[in-house]
Amino acid sequence: MCEFCGKLVAWLDRELGENDAAAMERHLAGCAECRERLAAYEQASTVFDAYCEAAFAAEARRASKPRWVVAACAAGAIAAAAALALILILPRARVAETPRPAAPQAPQAGGTAAPQVAAHTEVPRTVRSTDTALEATRPSALAAPTRRLQHNASNLAASAAPTSPARASAIPSEPPIEIAIPADAMFPPGAVPPGMTFTADLTISAEGSPERLRLHPRLAGFERRANQP
Amino acid sequence: MSGETLPLALPLSRLATRTREATNLYRELRKPLLRYLVCLGLNADEAQDAVQDAFLSLQRHLAAGGSQENIRSWLFRVAHNGARNRQTSYQRRFGAPLDAEVESSLVNQITPEHAVLEKEKFRRLRNAVRLLTESERECLLLRAGGLRYREIGEVLGMATSTVGDTVERAIKKLAEKCHV
Repeated sequence: MCEFCGKLVAWLDRELGENDAAAMERHLAGCAECRERLAAYEQASTVFDAYCEAAFAAEARRASKPRWVVAACAAGAIAAAAALALILILPRARVAETPRPAAPQAPQAGGTAAPQVAAHTEVPRTVRSTDTALEATRPSALAAPTRRLQHNASNLAASAAPTSPARASAIPSEPPIEIAIPADAMFPPGAVPPGMTFTADLTISAEGSPERLRLHPRLAGFERRANQP
Repeated sequence: MSGETLPLALPLSRLATRTREATNLYRELRKPLLRYLVCLGLNADEAQDAVQDAFLSLQRHLAAGGSQENIRSWLFRVAHNGARNRQTSYQRRFGAPLDAEVESSLVNQITPEHAVLEKEKFRRLRNAVRLLTESERECLLLRAGGLRYREIGEVLGMATSTVGDTVERAIKKLAEKCHV
């Protein structure tokens, strides 16, 4: 190891003074070991820069992904969850509906179990078939973001699931507010027949302010029915 | 009579000049700053916020008649401190497994054979970067952003000679561990 070894990167970065740089260049011309080190440092530096650029580009691409893709993923997750729910529920319903064929099928249990085991063993076999040095790492590397995406989608689905039905059912489930106003309170005495009331149909907007007020005249005989929820 | 000769227009014109300077700096340094912050571990949104805060601080700094020397390292320092304050998962970029996104960008850019080689290089690099100290990693990231040793020292509060030693040590470690 020579005295110039510790300044190779600085020379590469043009951080040495003129005299030191000239001395380094003279040394490099005659030292194969330093030239080799220099090449390795240069390459490490290039790979580091390239990785930074790739990481930045990947993050930028991830951030610029259109929102409808996320929405589509969420919709897909909901559809998949619904399909899974159907698959899980329907066979149980069938078993419950047709308990009789279970007894004759009992002797075939060994026969039916065999394909199940075979189906289970197929999964690792397919994995093992890609068990090369490169391929073995690929599924794990690719699985992580997929899992992350599923989490995102399921989170979205979970957050969307309670809100959308609630939003849809918010309007019909709200009990109508009916306010019975005696006619005497609004009109001069004798202007309205006795027993006449008005029901105010009040519409309140989302922010809580009254949006519309409509008065419906009610006769005394119908008052009770109008006041019933 | 031009607008600039009016007494009230003078500070405005000075402000406009400084705004132009800030705009030019924004065009020049936005991407290197974003890249630095993303590589530190911020996500795109956090990095955008930190960069915007840094340029807002620059605007205030220039409007208050602050020094215009070493403005590049000044911006990186403000962004760096902003990242430190807002970041919860510091250095996750190099700690996380190699992203499928990064891999796919390699596959898109070059031939499959090269992609395999590059992926292998990146894996080795990621493992090697984990062995670096925090200051070594930060020095390398700032160096990748095009900063001189003096500027890196200003951002991280280190002497220029210390930056030189740190960068030299970090690159040696990478070269030894990467075997590239």
